[in-house]
Amino acid sequence: MASDDFFDSKQEMPVLPAKDSIAKIEEAKAPAKEAEAKAPAKAEKKTLKEKEDDNGYPALTAEELAKEFKEHSVAEFFKKNRQMLGLTGKIRTLTTIVHEYVSNSLDACEESGILPEIEVKITELGEEYYEIMVKDNGPGLTKETLGKALGQLLAGTKFHRMMQMRGQQGIGAAGCTMLSLITTGKQIQVISGTAKHTPFMAEMTIDPKKNEPKIIKIEEIKKEFLGLAIKAKFKDVKYQKSEQSPLEYLRRTAIANPHAKIIFTDPFGEKSVFERTSKTIPQRPVEVKPHPKGVTVDELLTMAKATQARKISSFLKSDFDRMGDKAIEEIEKQASFDLNKDPKKMSWEEAEEIIKCFKTMNFIAPSTEGLSPIGEERITASLKGIVEPEFLSVLTRKPTVYKGGFSFQVEAAIAYGGNAGKSSGEKDENTGQEIKRVEVMRFANRVPLLFDAGGCALSKAVQGLDWKRYAIKNLDNAPLTVFVHMLSVHIPYTGAGKQAVSDEEEVMEELRLALMQAARQIMRHIAGKRRQQEKEQKKKLFMKYATEVAIALHELTGKKKDEIEKKLHAIVLKKLKLEEKMEKDLEQKTDEEIAAELEKEAAKEKKQSKKKKPKAGGEEDSE
Amino acid sequence: MVDDVKAKDKEVIKRLEGLGTGIFEQIEKGKEPAIELPVRNLGNIFFDKKSKTIKLGDKTSQRQFLNIAHTRKFMQTALVASEIKKIINQDATTSIRDLYYALKHTIADTNENTFEEQGESDPLIEDIEAGLDLLREELHLAASSKGVIVGDMKIKDGKDTIDLTKMGSGGWGIPSNVEPERIQIKDLSADYVLFIEKDAVWKRFNEDIFWKKNKCIIITGRGQPSRAERRFVQRLNKEFDLPVLALMDADPWGMYIYSVIKQGSISLSYSEEKLATPDTKYIGLTVKDVETFKIPKEVTIKLNQLDVKRLNEMKNYEWFKTKEWQNEFALMKEKAIKLELEALSKKGIRFITETYLPEKMKSKDFLP
Repeated sequence: MASDDFFDSKQEMPVLPAKDSIAKIEEAKAPAKEAEAKAPAKAEKKTLKEKEDDNGYPALTAEELAKEFKEHSVAEFFKKNRQMLGLTGKIRTLTTIVHEYVSNSLDACEESGILPEIEVKITELGEEYYEIMVKDNGPGLTKETLGKALGQLLAGTKFHRMMQMRGQQGIGAAGCTMLSLITTGKQIQVISGTAKHTPFMAEMTIDPKKNEPKIIKIEEIKKEFLGLAIKAKFKDVKYQKSEQSPLEYLRRTAIANPHAKIIFTDPFGEKSVFERTSKTIPQRPVEVKPHPKGVTVDELLTMAKATQARKISSFLKSDFDRMGDKAIEEIEKQASFDLNKDPKKMSWEEAEEIIKCFKTMNFIAPSTEGLSPIGEERITASLKGIVEPEFLSVLTRKPTVYKGGFSFQVEAAIAYGGNAGKSSGEKDENTGQEIKRVEVMRFANRVPLLFDAGGCALSKAVQGLDWKRYAIKNLDNAPLTVFVHMLSVHIPYTGAGKQAVSDEEEVMEELRLALMQAARQIMRHIAGKRRQQEKEQKKKLFMKYATEVAIALHELTGKKKDEIEKKLHAIVLKKLKLEEKMEKDLEQKTDEEIAAELEKEAAKEKKQSKKKKPKAGGEEDSE
Repeated sequence: MVDDVKAKDKEVIKRLEGLGTGIFEQIEKGKEPAIELPVRNLGNIFFDKKSKTIKLGDKTSQRQFLNIAHTRKFMQTALVASEIKKIINQDATTSIRDLYYALKHTIADTNENTFEEQGESDPLIEDIEAGLDLLREELHLAASSKGVIVGDMKIKDGKDTIDLTKMGSGGWGIPSNVEPERIQIKDLSADYVLFIEKDAVWKRFNEDIFWKKNKCIIITGRGQPSRAERRFVQRLNKEFDLPVLALMDADPWGMYIYSVIKQGSISLSYSEEKLATPDTKYIGLTVKDVETFKIPKEVTIKLNQLDVKRLNEMKNYEWFKTKEWQNEFALMKEKAIKLELEALSKKGIRFITETYLPEKMKSKDFLP
């Protein structure tokens, strides 16, 4: 089914007349002003400040947060927190929207054991005004689940789960519904087909005041369809061909999700298809209990309120990883309160005390089970298919732990030559070939990170490697695509934008080791290639000179030129064969030896280029 | 004499063919071809105290066809040898530049030339001269020469006889081949030879008819002299027993040129016995002259880094290891100055010919 006629565009109509929409925003602004005027209310809030957690975030519980949402307009919260929601910048906003929809689709497909096929189409409707259509072949939504999934903010269960997840970048699909409403005043269109129900078509939006879905129209359709298709309009966004565009986002998503087929049509009508290179759906990551070293006061309280356990002691033992009787005894000794207390009645101060205890105690490192890497084989297949390099080196490290409390794993791949690297638009003067620049692809839990590269541990690890040791003279101008993937139950993002990973010591070390190992393969490849080139050049050189030598010897000795040449050629070939044999022995060489060899060669090259024209034999006789 | 030349040519051709046969035999046996050649650098020369010239040692090196660094030179050496054979067979003499052009061609199926510049073929000629123990003239090759000479003598060049007292302001241009078979010196009347480094200074001496007034021959090599000028001076010295005096800039370069006239050069060390004139003496300029002749400070030049480096190198050359030269070098380093011949003009245009030279001759204040 072609996406163009998938939705009947005539059916759409604005939820609110444009004027109303403006009025709505004005209205939404009012409570904020009111709030500012209410100084005592602010002072009251200050008492909460004592409850700040380690990271300096106001220690509001999720419940309190949700309550605040309800009190203020959700739309207001939205506008105030655009940055946190990943909605700053016109280009970035568009990519974030695509991310929210596509990661939802991938998650849904994987959960249902379906190989995802996702179609994304962006159409320009006016100046900074676009329509985004995303269609998948996933399990679809029922009429009952539709509203919560697309019309209610924070309805998901994705928060605070100790599990390797793609994760929202802040707003989720419902957030997109909201963003569509506040920028265009329009509803979104949905078509959904599940295995059990007749497919239906719906037009809906969100009630920004109540944070509730508002279904405008819903009707069954006669088309046969399995999956979910969403069409939404957005203003104040911009499509631009760049390294941070939805196209690049989808290309990289396809690389990190080789089991997915992704089709993208950009506003210029250009279609890109990223074919599936693996037919196995990745193993679902397993949710693990939080490790005591990786939990905050706020999280502890949230868990305490949700637990089935009746005593704090049994709560800690049952809800945490690596928590044995001995550990409980230790906490009992240190705590100033009775651990037989009902966990639901645990105070902030008590929770703080427990966290302090955790910090002084030794626990077995968290289990590293439950992480689901892409795997060397699949990364190889997808990079071969999408990047098409000349040579590829892929590495999945063993999982390990950072900060003592979070398991994580690193995957790295370096693609060299061929179509690897990004185009510079310039051509090499000598070869006429396009000059490539390095392309660094960062991923966290299979999600491409396109923004904030500067402060990201993954970029730092790539930049920090001594590439010269691996036959890459200048990383920036190397025909390389470097792939770095970190997966974890808890990615240590540097900020709410979730686009950069902070440089935890253990993470940096794993990244370094992974890149080093991958780079070594590249070095061997380059060294081998250079040897091959040299050998061919050498042969060519000897062969052409052989002819000249034969002519000269013919003049000097009167022997037949052709015979001399033939014999000389035989000697050249014999010599080269001998060298080849020696090279085979060279393959036994260690990396260090190869590196030393390359270095020596580089020094030689430098020397030669410095050397002026061949000097006349005599240093003083100018005759 | 013609028969002598023919016999010599035959011998030369035999040696060139021998070079070719040597390579051919290695190829026949399936061996990697190589040419053995004497090493022509500072590491393989010595100062022969008996002849008082620089001589080539007996170190040799292999030029291998299958060595990336040698292969082009190997090919070129073979080509140069074959071309020389052709030239001799045609009974012609050509310049080394002619030879370069004769051999320069594009190698089949490439965009590479057999030779890119004359600097590539010139040293190979020297290799062949040294390797086959032959003189350049015997190879029917002539280096370009640029020197001029005047004085009281006559030259017989083939059928022409030239009076070197009647050469006007330009002087007689020394031809590249000054071997006795070609050039004969007659009716010489002079007491010494004055070898002047610079052409401009030589012109001053010629204009002032210094040679006539002082009964000498004046010659210049216009900077670094070529073999012809050096060979000619050697003949004047050997055949007529004339002392040779050198007038150079007081700087490391002038002093080195002097040593080339006297002992020979490193690259031509294999034939210095036929080129060097060990009896040469250094008349000036010296750093001491600045004081003796009260030459104003402002016309001296400060020594630069390169000068000092060269000075340090020369200090260690065997032939400069005399007390006088070591003192001179030490003084130059101490004062950190050098002096050009032209600087004497500060004291008057004819100061050099009318005061400086005569006084030096009188005091016999020469360096060995």
